Amino acid sequence: MNIHSSPSAGSHGVPDRGLFSRTGQGGAHEGRIREGWIREWVDGWNTFWFTPTDPLPLALVRIAVGALLTWSSIVWLLDADAFFGDHAWLLASDAWRMNDQPWQWSGYFACSSGAAIRLVAIVTLIAAVLLTIGLATPLAAVVALMGFVSAANRAPLNVFGFDDVLGMLLIAVAVGPAGAVLSVDRLVFPRPPSALRSVRATLAIRLIQVHLCVIYFFSGCGKLLGASWWEGTALWGSIANSCYRTLDLTWLANHPFVVNALTLSTLLWEVSYPAVVWPRLTRRIVLGMAVAVHMGIGLTMGMMEFGLAMIVANMAFVPAETWRRLCRMPPP
Amino acid sequence: MSTVTPHTTPTQTHTWSPAARAAATFLVLVYLAAVILPPLAGPPPASELANAVIQPFRPLIGLLSLGHGYRFFAPDPGPGHSIRWSMQMPDGSTRVGCIPDTSNDRPRLLYHRRFMISEKIASFVPFVDAPEAVRIEAKPRWQPLVKGVAGQLLARHRGQQVTLQLVEHYLPTPEEVIRGQNGEDLITPLGTYAFPEERLP
Repeated sequence: MNIHSSPSAGSHGVPDRGLFSRTGQGGAHEGRIREGWIREWVDGWNTFWFTPTDPLPLALVRIAVGALLTWSSIVWLLDADAFFGDHAWLLASDAWRMNDQPWQWSGYFACSSGAAIRLVAIVTLIAAVLLTIGLATPLAAVVALMGFVSAANRAPLNVFGFDDVLGMLLIAVAVGPAGAVLSVDRLVFPRPPSALRSVRATLAIRLIQVHLCVIYFFSGCGKLLGASWWEGTALWGSIANSCYRTLDLTWLANHPFVVNALTLSTLLWEVSYPAVVWPRLTRRIVLGMAVAVHMGIGLTMGMMEFGLAMIVANMAFVPAETWRRLCRMPPP
Repeated sequence: MSTVTPHTTPTQTHTWSPAARAAATFLVLVYLAAVILPPLAGPPPASELANAVIQPFRPLIGLLSLGHGYRFFAPDPGPGHSIRWSMQMPDGSTRVGCIPDTSNDRPRLLYHRRFMISEKIASFVPFVDAPEAVRIEAKPRWQPLVKGVAGQLLARHRGQQVTLQLVEHYLPTPEEVIRGQNGEDLITPLGTYAFPEERLP
């Protein structure tokens, strides 16, 4: 796995330790090669996960995920009793039927009154707002994550892809120093720019990147089981589905090749995403396609929150230097 | 091929001690297992191996709510579902409605949260013309969920009794859309429910 060339790499990305020199013979030579190969893996792993990096991309993810969780919390609150109460759509005693895992906890399981339910929902809302502005960020991130998990585990009948992605992002924001920049915390407690680079920032962004690849991999593989994706007609299933439709694209019935092209390009993009998002050469194309696909889902199927959450997750692949250029911020 | 780290150019490496890196590596691997195993172990088709390997990770999956299949619009985008209800009120009148309610469920995120009720219940309910053995086997899986929905509707509208139907909305082909035709929705009865007196809200 040579995802990243080691900083000490030679001209071909191989650590310059003489391990591949052809001076040895027989077993000793093989042993050196094996040692070199394992060493290269270890170096690659360490560089991938533990190189300190600029926390700016994580801070941008924090602001976006905080705003999305704020909105989600408001919507939960609009009908809190129906989602989390004694007479909820899904009784608390039946929550296991939707997702039977041990330790499937929820703060709402302990709530016996409408006031207690609203209290938990409002605490989550406040944590989401604090996360967005970056005030008491580490605490806000943990409380926001707990509030999110409480809702998802109590009301599994009402969650969908948007919540899956929101959870992934909140875990990363809780792991990393998400309030290190672009936050009220930073205004109150200034730090020299040189102290900003952090291993935890790398870990958090890497968790999003790898998790996102897992999502696209399984989503793409799942589609490969369906004949309509191979036939190029799957998108018609979404276009003609009146339950999702917010933009009428049924005029595409007259343009089957367009539906074919959109379906096949979506499939190929999703299946190849985990491989082609890493090389610089293809990353911009892959990320551009992600924005197009997810904005398309948001606008035509009314799932704007899901589309935005996926775009925010894709932001983890945009280099810090690019964000600093766009935000006109000096490097740390 | 150049495969440099996507988010920054490193200027400094490995500020953590080897012990800290080893501990973090262990945690990362456990977390990644909890992310990768749920979509491998379900929804079907899934291997026995994945279902065996996932067992020790299930507590963590439940703790962080990571039990997702990630099969968005897969294997094939199918028809949409709604639940139509008819409620008998204490004054003898009848009230009707639908979950989700396209006209009144606003904002859209609230609509989607309610839409998931009918979509997820539909995934447990066999077709109305399925063999009786299949329908009998499936009933214990979907009926407790439908009872919860009925209970919420009765509590919300203060009704006496509610009858529910699952509606599978016909998905027209491009040819049918061009001809201006549409097929019939498929209706599956989900039963009639009333609160016991002692549970009335």
